Amino acid sequence: MKETPLSNCERRFLLRAIEEKKRLDGRQTYDYRNIKISFGTDYGCCIVELGKTRVLGQVSCELVSPKPNRATEGILFFNLELSQMAAPAFEPGRQSDLLVKLNRLLERCLRNSKCIDTESLCVVAGEKVWQIRVDLHLLNHDGNIIDAASIAAIVALCHFRRPDVSVQGDEVTLYTPEERDPVPLSIHHMPICVSFAFFQQGTYLLVDPNEREERVMDGLLVIAMNKHREICTIQSSGGIMLLKDQVLRCSKIAGVKVAEITELIQKALENDQKVRKEGGKFGFAESIAHQRITAFKMEKALIDTSDAGEKAGEIIAEAEPPSEVVCNPVLWTPGTAQVGEGTENAWGDLEDSEKEDEDQDGSDEAIILDNMKMDTGVELSDTGNQDATIVLSDSEEEEMIILEPDKSPKKIRTQTISAKQEKVPSKKPMKKRKKRAVN
Amino acid sequence: MAEAAESVVGSKARAARTVLGQLVLPGEELLLPEQEDAEGPGGAGERPLLLNPGTRSRVRVVCGPGLRRCGDRMLVTKCGRLRHKEPSGGGGGVYWVDSQQKRYVPVKGDHVIGIVTAKSGDIFKVDVGGSEPASLSYLAFEGATKRNRPNVQVGDLIYGQFVVANKDMEPEMVCIDSCGRANGMGVIGQDGLLFKVTLGLIRKLLAPDCEIIQEVGKLYPLEIVFGMNGRIWVKAKTIQQTLILANILEACEHMTTDQRKQIFSRLAES
Amino acid sequence: MEWATQIESQMHTETGASAEAAGSRGLGCSLRHFACEQNLLSRPDGSASFLQGDTSVLAGVYGPAEVKVSKEIFNKATLEVLLRPKIGLPGVAEKSRERLIRNTCEAVVLGALHPRTSITVVLQVISDAGSLLACCLNAACMALVDAGVPMRALFCGITCALDDDGNLVLDPTVKQEKVARAILTFALDSVEQKLLMSTTKGLYSNAEFQQCLVAAQTASQHVFRFYRESLQRRYSKS
Repeated sequence: MKETPLSNCERRFLLRAIEEKKRLDGRQTYDYRNIKISFGTDYGCCIVELGKTRVLGQVSCELVSPKPNRATEGILFFNLELSQMAAPAFEPGRQSDLLVKLNRLLERCLRNSKCIDTESLCVVAGEKVWQIRVDLHLLNHDGNIIDAASIAAIVALCHFRRPDVSVQGDEVTLYTPEERDPVPLSIHHMPICVSFAFFQQGTYLLVDPNEREERVMDGLLVIAMNKHREICTIQSSGGIMLLKDQVLRCSKIAGVKVAEITELIQKALENDQKVRKEGGKFGFAESIAHQRITAFKMEKALIDTSDAGEKAGEIIAEAEPPSEVVCNPVLWTPGTAQVGEGTENAWGDLEDSEKEDEDQDGSDEAIILDNMKMDTGVELSDTGNQDATIVLSDSEEEEMIILEPDKSPKKIRTQTISAKQEKVPSKKPMKKRKKRAVN
Repeated sequence: MAEAAESVVGSKARAARTVLGQLVLPGEELLLPEQEDAEGPGGAGERPLLLNPGTRSRVRVVCGPGLRRCGDRMLVTKCGRLRHKEPSGGGGGVYWVDSQQKRYVPVKGDHVIGIVTAKSGDIFKVDVGGSEPASLSYLAFEGATKRNRPNVQVGDLIYGQFVVANKDMEPEMVCIDSCGRANGMGVIGQDGLLFKVTLGLIRKLLAPDCEIIQEVGKLYPLEIVFGMNGRIWVKAKTIQQTLILANILEACEHMTTDQRKQIFSRLAES
Repeated sequence: MEWATQIESQMHTETGASAEAAGSRGLGCSLRHFACEQNLLSRPDGSASFLQGDTSVLAGVYGPAEVKVSKEIFNKATLEVLLRPKIGLPGVAEKSRERLIRNTCEAVVLGALHPRTSITVVLQVISDAGSLLACCLNAACMALVDAGVPMRALFCGITCALDDDGNLVLDPTVKQEKVARAILTFALDSVEQKLLMSTTKGLYSNAEFQQCLVAAQTASQHVFRFYRESLQRRYSKS
């Protein structure tokens, strides 16, 4: 799907407003939008909202063998996904330039700044280390993805607890959370990205641009910094010329913003920890704003299922007795046999479900038809069961049916096609009847 | 017992008359006043006393957006409040569901704000927020001739009306009325701000007795255009005023009348 | 890998018998607490986050929107469902669930009203604490309603688990799912509580299947009531 185009009038208005130091949402030049951090019930799961931009972060870990050149270091892996949910123009499964750029920037901000102590993730040198995986999902795109994603990543990492392990000789024991409390990662510092949008060739500058501002900006400067005012990475894109003073000024602003955000993160983490310790309620259910009219909650509901068994009995009694069970196993292809009716095999469909999506109805039909065809095949050939082998493939070429007896295929095929055509409008009732006919 | 539960989930048909202005959900069946007596007991809840319950007259009723006809049954397809418009002549009038959706589906006769995305030959392609761009002929402007083409650039805003809009065809817009007059339609000026709200809010704002518009009008002198596709263009004297107006209108979506009045009185003071 | 048996709509017309409301308390079956927030994302045409206990799914819907030429269907809307796991990339399990959800949506969405358009449902798993597929179905339904996509009826997902003693658990948690002998998930429509989709895992008898279905139908009344109340709240100011 395409993005809604930006009209000339919006562009002009935005630029004029920026000249007058006004922003659409009433912010000042250096203001961030509201940041809200909420945690899930699992460790290492958080949602960060930056205005209307939303990012879901989840950290997971597994034991792997280390990279040969870094035998004593754990592995860090970052992956930001731009899901179609966030904006219509994001296509699933495509590596867009934006996505590559954002992922690279995140890696530079979080891995190359060595904010996580990777050596503490080593279990057995050269053999077993922890691989920490940070999955970030953009849920709603309203500009400044990178700041929201970097906050989500570091918050999720701080919140994460990995299972405790112990090493005795060659034996590595992994403890479940019930046996031993999981341990947090050791984090040296918290790098956070701060974005600056430049307009009119660098004359005007805005902190935390929203989506419409991003569309009219000339260039973007991203500074990743921690609260000790150490710059972790810096990137300028869009091809604008910046003066030394401008960059220095930006780094000063970044310092202030990072301090504010770090404080917010720490408060949020402490708050969550406190609630968990006290055994209170936590998780996303608690973070829904209940005063909103779009939100609604229902307490636990008891369901009376005492008469379910009785009713089920009635239904079964009323229902027609099942058709006779076919005892002879049917050999579909070498290695695949079937006893009884059964329905569609879900195995093959999964692999090419994309193709299936378009042609699904057709394939449903085809399988049932094959049932019938097999019958006719047997009748026609009169050569006994084992000769009537049908080669079925689950792919699109389902129409290609190879019946062993040479004389029959053509005839049957035309027959099935015509059957199919008339079947399409009333699919379901036919299906039922067909099945019965098979038996 | 079973009936009580079902009336909650709405699987039993309810009388359209009794649920006017109330929430209806997809799948519900609504009974027209003429059908109420025909249904069995319990079907229509409390039934009105009819003078001549025996006769059923055929009445013409229009199923508006969010409703569909299935045989002689009226079924709900969208969630929202049920509305009814009394007919000017005879008949059962129009029923429709007022929902708060964001996505616009072109309807013939609707006035919308579009963004020109391309010029190709003698038509413009206009984005109206629907599933495909609408086409707009360069001759469909007031005073336009083959020689005298209107000055329209890619990215301009167009206020126009649909003359062709149905599910099977590409929608077509014009910027003239049936007499060939612009009648307010055409290219919207280069200044001012465009923003998006839900379709429900636009309908509310365009209602003939809408208080919001009157109150907004008292604040600042302004120019404003509402498109049925959820787009609003607004221009006041200064950037600041334009921004305030845009934010107020956006916020109207989630405000009760009292909250809104408070804000307006506060703004009027400042 | 689960062996998914798919039974599409109208499996047993006989089972459409109206289910009773839960008046008197019976066995200890219950649904966890439910919560739903609609229209929480600004970009999609409709969105909803649905929570069942600690299980949470976020859904976004676009549509009727433009469609790729390759996917265009001339007489109805192209319905797509994308399910995104929280960790890693979508795999076979997600594809299988996408298909189940897509088939359910296809049964209720009136796609013929918007030919040559696309209706896309994007589901993001926020946390999985049991009955994930049911939660996905509920989130998808609320998001479709929020987007104003025309529908024949509402639908909901209910998961039942049967333990070794044959006891029935509704809306099971992860723990209950782990010890269950069989897990059955149903999608039911709001008009007659008929079966739109069912997928099962594990061993169960015919009688147990019917029993689960009846229980799910009873539970669906609560879910639909929850839908109605949350939508009523949402439209309370318009």
